[in-house]
Amino acid sequence: MAHVTNKYPGESRWKGLWYLLPTLLVYLLFTFLPILETIRSSFYQWDGFSQNRTWIGLANYVELFTDPKFHNALRNNLVFVIFFSIIPILIGLFLASLLSRRAIPGFAFFRTALFLPQVISMVVVGVIWRWMFNPTFGPINLFLRQIGLDVFAISWLGDFTWALPAVGSIGTWVQYGFCMVLFLAGMQHINEEYYEAASLDGANAFQQFIHITVPGLRSEITVALVTTIIAALRVFDLVYTTTRGGPGESTMVTGFLIYRAAFTNNRIGYAAAIATILTLIILIISLFIRHFQQQGSEESA
Amino acid sequence: MKKRSIFLSISLALMILLSACAKPASPADQTPAANTGEQVLLVWDQFYRDEESKVMETLNAEFEAAHPGVKIQREVKVLADLQTTVKLALANADGPDVAQVNQGRNDMGALVEAGLLLPLNPYLEKYNWSSVFSTSVASRNSFTEDGKTFGTGNLYGVSPTAEVVGVFYNKDIFKKNRWDVPTTFEDFEALLAKIKTEGITPISFGSLDGWNAIHEYSAIQHLLVSLDYINNLTYGVNNVSFDIPENRQAAQILQDWAKAGYFTEGFPGIGYDDCNNLFKAGNGAMTITGSWLAPELMVGTDQEFGFFLLPPFAGKTGLAIGGVGIPFAIRKTTEKQDLAAEYLNWMISPRAAELWAEAGMLPAMALPEDSKVDTNNLFGDTLNAWNAINKENAVGHYIDWATPTFYDTLVAELQKLLGGISTPANFTEAVEADYKAYLQSKSE
Repeated sequence: MAHVTNKYPGESRWKGLWYLLPTLLVYLLFTFLPILETIRSSFYQWDGFSQNRTWIGLANYVELFTDPKFHNALRNNLVFVIFFSIIPILIGLFLASLLSRRAIPGFAFFRTALFLPQVISMVVVGVIWRWMFNPTFGPINLFLRQIGLDVFAISWLGDFTWALPAVGSIGTWVQYGFCMVLFLAGMQHINEEYYEAASLDGANAFQQFIHITVPGLRSEITVALVTTIIAALRVFDLVYTTTRGGPGESTMVTGFLIYRAAFTNNRIGYAAAIATILTLIILIISLFIRHFQQQGSEESA
Repeated sequence: MKKRSIFLSISLALMILLSACAKPASPADQTPAANTGEQVLLVWDQFYRDEESKVMETLNAEFEAAHPGVKIQREVKVLADLQTTVKLALANADGPDVAQVNQGRNDMGALVEAGLLLPLNPYLEKYNWSSVFSTSVASRNSFTEDGKTFGTGNLYGVSPTAEVVGVFYNKDIFKKNRWDVPTTFEDFEALLAKIKTEGITPISFGSLDGWNAIHEYSAIQHLLVSLDYINNLTYGVNNVSFDIPENRQAAQILQDWAKAGYFTEGFPGIGYDDCNNLFKAGNGAMTITGSWLAPELMVGTDQEFGFFLLPPFAGKTGLAIGGVGIPFAIRKTTEKQDLAAEYLNWMISPRAAELWAEAGMLPAMALPEDSKVDTNNLFGDTLNAWNAINKENAVGHYIDWATPTFYDTLVAELQKLLGGISTPANFTEAVEADYKAYLQSKSE
């Protein structure tokens, strides 16, 4: 590696900071301060609009950790990780390896069409799928009845067993296109010679995929993991527009608990405590994934 | 060059900051300052549907015409939007002078506790409102000054509209099958079975949205409990329990209906509006919901609908869920208190009653005697039902007002009951746990 110097020719390095100033100020004002304010609020009992604000220390957190509703919501968020993250990444890998290795007519069309769910607002997605899942006139059950599978034409979003996977599969639908496009881009920089050498050595397509494609996409998989896991943990709009956490509490997620505590039960402090814990969980998972990725790339280097 | 770039970045930063902080110009800013005694009354309401909104526009225009120099600045929001924003707005010095504030502990109660609403008792006397609405109606908009006890104390709002929960039925389907409107609960259940055997959905109902399941359950509950009980439960007084045989029996009946297939097929996965659209299109013989649905069922359909109260058990009398709509309240810190009170008085005037009735909405006030509103229709049915329960003193409550978390608990527990994964006893016990915890926290 060439010798790196801190000095750039001509101009003082500090000057660059001035260019950051506008963004930095906006960031401080609209992201960083609200985060601090949220953490501070979590130590108070406050309804969000009156002057009555009481310091209650860790009471919100104590209540939170002993609240079965929070445990249940967190468990549902973890189930969503499978649907929002693991399954989309597997589908994305599969589709990307199908699309990248050979020329497919209408490639650009497929790529755009499969990516489309990602650019639709989650609220719209929720409304559309609520209609898709409608037991009376929804296309899914109409189709199932058409092909004689009447027993499977159940009340998807209202079923205690199937509501969670049903909402989760909407997440899969939204996320897999994003993973696929990400992996397609990543595959461009995998040297074609690796595949040639491997096939000369007699490796089949699956072996090539496992030993060349997947390791070559390590950084893209990391990005996909981090973003989709965050999406799974902070999901709110999708649940709000489809099931509102029901039936019973079977699709209740932490994001919805925050909304409910803050806006219907006037408990800003408790909502802030849930939000703080959720942020911490997301932070730890993201750091863990990044750490894992860096370790992996050092090993392979 | 250097200086210029620094200057540029600072001014850019300032510009961004200023534009981000600047308050979006509200219409109120554009009206000329109060010269020549002009006064602007800022009003927030949630009458966003076409027909409702027209009534408000007419009432506001007539108020302005009767008060030269007064301008009504109206802001319309859907209820959920209003609920989440009105609390902060009322804490603000330039917030709405008059706003619709939902009843119950989380909304009106919390605002009273925070000292943000004006007690209306002086105006109650000044305008003789006790001749406009009964004490039972007034108590629904009343709280003690600390916001802790619901149903007594000061008056904080006046409601222009009324609501009663009952049974809408498809007259065409009833006529074709020669079914009569049942007069006892036993007849009603027999009719459900009969409709089912004809291959028609007896009750159009979907529980995906949750809240309407409370009405479905509580309408039956209101036939079994006494008015004292439902008052005590709702206002949180006299230490009643939710875990009583009557409530359990109501839960049993509701669960039996679900098991017998009396509700729309796949009802746990259908939302409120979707099932109403099905009903309006002629799917389903009946639906149990509030009178607010009447205006929608009177236009845009070739079906004819009627309305009756869920009939009482043979030899008994029953209550009906009912009450007054979301009340108008006054911000405590407004300087235009008297004008605002006059506006409230206009909102519950005979003229307002007439306009609401024309739009198919039940007015909370009596219609003027010379009223020419057509009552030979669905609206007339709801009006008769509302008058009947008022005459018999049989107006019950929305039980979800009972505790701050009662709504969430009831929805979750009713979905479990309807889904058959809990028993009626599980249901009343789980709801009682919520209720008991609230009574305890209140007495601390």
